[in-house]
Amino acid sequence: MALRKKMRSVALGMASEPTFFSALRTRWTAISTFSSPAANLHASSLKRDLGKDDCAAELHPLIDALLVTRRRIMATNFLSGWMMWCSCILATLIFIAAVSTRLAGAVILSGVLAAVGTAALAVLTWRGRPSIYDTACRLDSASTLHDRLSTALFFGTIEKPEGMLELQRRDASQQLAQINPRGLFPIRVPANAIGRTVVLFLAVAGLFVYRTHYRPPLVALMQTAARSQLVQSVLSPLVSAVEKDLQRTMALATSQPDTSANDVRPDDAKPLGDDLWQSNDEKDANPEDTQQNSQDATIADQQPQQPNPDGQAKPKEGESQQQADGQQQSQAEGKKSSQSKENSDQSSGDGNQSQSQSLMQALKNLLSNSASQQSNNQANQPPPDGQGMSQSGNSHQPGTSEGDKKGDSRGSSDGQQKASKNSSSGAGSQQGNKDLRKDQSAQTVNAVPDRVALESNGFKEQVRVRVDTGTGTAQLPVREISPTATAVVNGAEQENIPARYRLYVQHYFEHGDNNVQK
Amino acid sequence: MTGTSHTENQSSDKSLGPQAEFVTEKMAEVRREISKAIVGQRGVVDGVLMALLAGGHVLLEGAPGLGKTMLVRTLAQAVSLKYSRIQFTPDLMPADVIGTAVVQENGDGRKSLGFQPGPIFANLLLADEINRATPKTQSALLEAMQEKQVTVAHTSHQLDEPFFVMATQNPLEMEGTYPLPEAQLDRFLFKLRVPFPGRENLHDILDRTTQGSPERVLPVVNGPQILEMRQVVRAVPVAPHVQEYVVNLVLATHPENRENALANKYIRYGSSPRGAQTLILGGKVRALLDGRYNVSLEDIRALLLPALRHRIILNFEAQADGRTTDDLLDEIAGKIS
Repeated sequence: MALRKKMRSVALGMASEPTFFSALRTRWTAISTFSSPAANLHASSLKRDLGKDDCAAELHPLIDALLVTRRRIMATNFLSGWMMWCSCILATLIFIAAVSTRLAGAVILSGVLAAVGTAALAVLTWRGRPSIYDTACRLDSASTLHDRLSTALFFGTIEKPEGMLELQRRDASQQLAQINPRGLFPIRVPANAIGRTVVLFLAVAGLFVYRTHYRPPLVALMQTAARSQLVQSVLSPLVSAVEKDLQRTMALATSQPDTSANDVRPDDAKPLGDDLWQSNDEKDANPEDTQQNSQDATIADQQPQQPNPDGQAKPKEGESQQQADGQQQSQAEGKKSSQSKENSDQSSGDGNQSQSQSLMQALKNLLSNSASQQSNNQANQPPPDGQGMSQSGNSHQPGTSEGDKKGDSRGSSDGQQKASKNSSSGAGSQQGNKDLRKDQSAQTVNAVPDRVALESNGFKEQVRVRVDTGTGTAQLPVREISPTATAVVNGAEQENIPARYRLYVQHYFEHGDNNVQK
Repeated sequence: MTGTSHTENQSSDKSLGPQAEFVTEKMAEVRREISKAIVGQRGVVDGVLMALLAGGHVLLEGAPGLGKTMLVRTLAQAVSLKYSRIQFTPDLMPADVIGTAVVQENGDGRKSLGFQPGPIFANLLLADEINRATPKTQSALLEAMQEKQVTVAHTSHQLDEPFFVMATQNPLEMEGTYPLPEAQLDRFLFKLRVPFPGRENLHDILDRTTQGSPERVLPVVNGPQILEMRQVVRAVPVAPHVQEYVVNLVLATHPENRENALANKYIRYGSSPRGAQTLILGGKVRALLDGRYNVSLEDIRALLLPALRHRIILNFEAQADGRTTDDLLDEIAGKIS
C-alpha cells in the first residue's frame, strides 16, 4: 500500500526518487523474509531463544518438548522446500528433453542443481528456524493451551517463583504432560506437493524413454506445424511481402551498373516485377537449380502451352497498346530509379544484390519445398475421375492456394479458363504466353490473389460517373446501356464468355454511339 | 523490557496463589447466583463481572425489557454491595446525582452549610438511560468514575470502594437524547450489547417470571473481598507476545499510521491507551475466570469488541458505507493475527 502510494507520488513528481527506492527496499525486505508486515508485528517478541541453561530445572521437560517440536517444524519446512525445488528441476528437465537434443548435460546439471539446492535449503532452513519462544507459541496454538507454555517459558528464568507465577508454571507443566508434540507436529510433506512431484517425475521418465528413440518432440512438432498448409496460408502473405521488398531491392541493385553508363535499355526499363520474374524464369530454366524448381518450372511452362481454343493468349490491339504504354511508363520509372541510384555506392550495391539474391532464393526454395511436399502428398491420392493431366499440373503448382483449389474442383476446361483468368487478373489485360507464365510464377509466391479491378478497357470516351464504394471504385457509363456484370467487369465471370460474344460486346461498345445515332 | 519489571513484581506476590483460586471459585458462585434471576446472557454477565473485578465501569446497550436493570440489581444482591439507581432525564441536574450543600442546623441551633450526598454515593450505581440526561449532568459522572470522588463547593468527597457504575442506554429511541461524549465513553471499561434472548431462554424467562415466586439471590462476596480480588487480578502474568499483540491492536485502530489502510479509510479517531489497559486487565480477569493463570491471545480477541467498540470514532465514509465499529475491529484483528 505504501509502495503504491509512493510510486504514485513519484509519478506525479510529489516525492523524490530516494523515497521511491526506500519503499522498494522495504517491500523487498518484506518479500525476502517470506512474511507479511502484519505477521511481523509481534515478531520481535518471538525471537527469544532460551536454552536449558537459561531456564529453571522445572522447565527442562518443556525445553525438551520444544526442541523436539522445533526439529519437526524444521524438517517439515525442509521437505516442503525440497519438494518444490525438485518440482522445479523436473519441470526444467521436461522442457530440456522436449527441446534440446543433448540430454546428458542436462541430467548432470540437474543432479548438480539438486545437490546444491538441497544444501542451500538445509542452510536456509537452519537460518530460518523458529526460536524456542516461537516454538512454544506454536505449540500453544496447536494444542490450545492458551499461551500457557510460552508464558511459563518467558518467566522461566526465575528459579523459585512464588504466588501467581508458581501457579502458572505448575499449570503449564501439568498441561504439557497431557500433550504429544510429535502428534501435533508430524513430519510430512503436503499431499499436493507429493502428487505434483510424482507426476513430474513420471513425465520426465516417459519423456526420456521417448527420447531414446525419437527426436525432441517440441522441435518435431514445430517443424510439422511449419510445413502444415494452415501455417503456409498464414505465412505466405508475409513471405510475399518480404519477397516483394527483396525484389525491389534487387531491382534497384541490378539497375545500378546500367545507369553508370547513363544509358537506359528497354529491358532495364521494364517494371521491376517483370524484370525479376524474367530472372526467375531464367533461374528456373537453369539446369543447376534443384530438381523441385525445375519441376515447378516445367509445370509452369506446360500450362500456357496447353491448347487454347479461344485464342485468348494472343494480345489484342488495345491491350498491346496499353502494354506499350505501360512499358513506356516503366521505362520512365526505371530511368528515375537509375538516376536516383547513381549517387549510391556501387560496391555496396553489388554486395546487397548478392545477399538479397541468395536470401530470395532461399525463401523460394523453402516455399517450393513445402509446396512440393504437399503436392506429393496430394499426388499420392487417387485423382477423381474426369481429371486430366492439365488439371493435375494446375493443382501442383507451387505456392498456389486458391487457384489450385478451384482447379481441383473443376475440370480441365476450368484449368484452361483459370489460366486465362490468371493472365487477365490485375490490370485487366490479356497478355501472351510469356505474361501468363509470369503471372503463374507470381502466384507461386502470392497465395492471396490480387484484387480484381472493376474497370473495363476498350471503352470509348464516355461520360462517366464515379461511384465510390467501400472496397473499390467502379466507373460505369451514364447511358441507357446496361451491360451485365460479365460484360463490364473484367474479372472472373468474363472468362466464361465465349470469344465471339466477347468480340460482339467489344464491338458494341466501340460502335455504340453510331448505333444510337442510327 | 516490560517482562523484567513484570517478573520482579510477580516474585513479590507470595500470597496471591491461593487467592487466585479463591477468585475463580467465588466468581463461579456469583455467576451461579446471578443465573437464578437472569436467564442466559452469559456474555453480558461475564462482562459485568470482569468489569467489576478489573475496577471499571460498564455501559449496557440494549432494547427495553431485556433485563439490564434486573441484571444490575441481581449483581448488587449477589455481591452484597450498596446499590443505587438514578433514572436519567433531561431535567436531571448534577446536584441531583452527586449531592449538594444544604443549610443544616446543629444541636445548639447554629446553622451551617452541610453536604448532602447524592445517589452516587453507593458501591453499585445504576445510571439508567444515561443518554437522556443533558451533557452537563452526564459530565457530573466523569470525576466520580475516574477519580472515585466528587467535588462540591470546593470540597472533594471520596466515594466508597468498590465503586462500580453500570449505565444503560437504549439504541432505538434516539430522539430527545444526548449521545455520550467521547470523554465520557472512554471512562467505561466495556460497552456491552445486550442481545435478545433465544427461543430456549425466552421459554425459561416465561417459566420463571410467570409461575410462582422468583428465587432469592444470596450474597456471595462482599466489597472488601472484591477489592482483594482486584489485587489478585493484577498479578496475573502476561506474556510479552500477548502484550505486544494488544499494542499492535490498539495502534492498528489509529488512522495516523499509514500502514493501517482500513483505519485510514473508515476511522476518524482510534482507541485511547485506556483501550490497551482494558484489554490487558480484562484479559487477566478472563483468564482467572477461566481457571488459568496467564493471559492468552484468545482472551484479548474475546475482549476486543467490548473493550474497543466505544473508543473508536468512525468517519463519514464509514457511516455512508454502513460500516460498524464491530466490523472494522474484526477486520483489524483478522489482519493482525
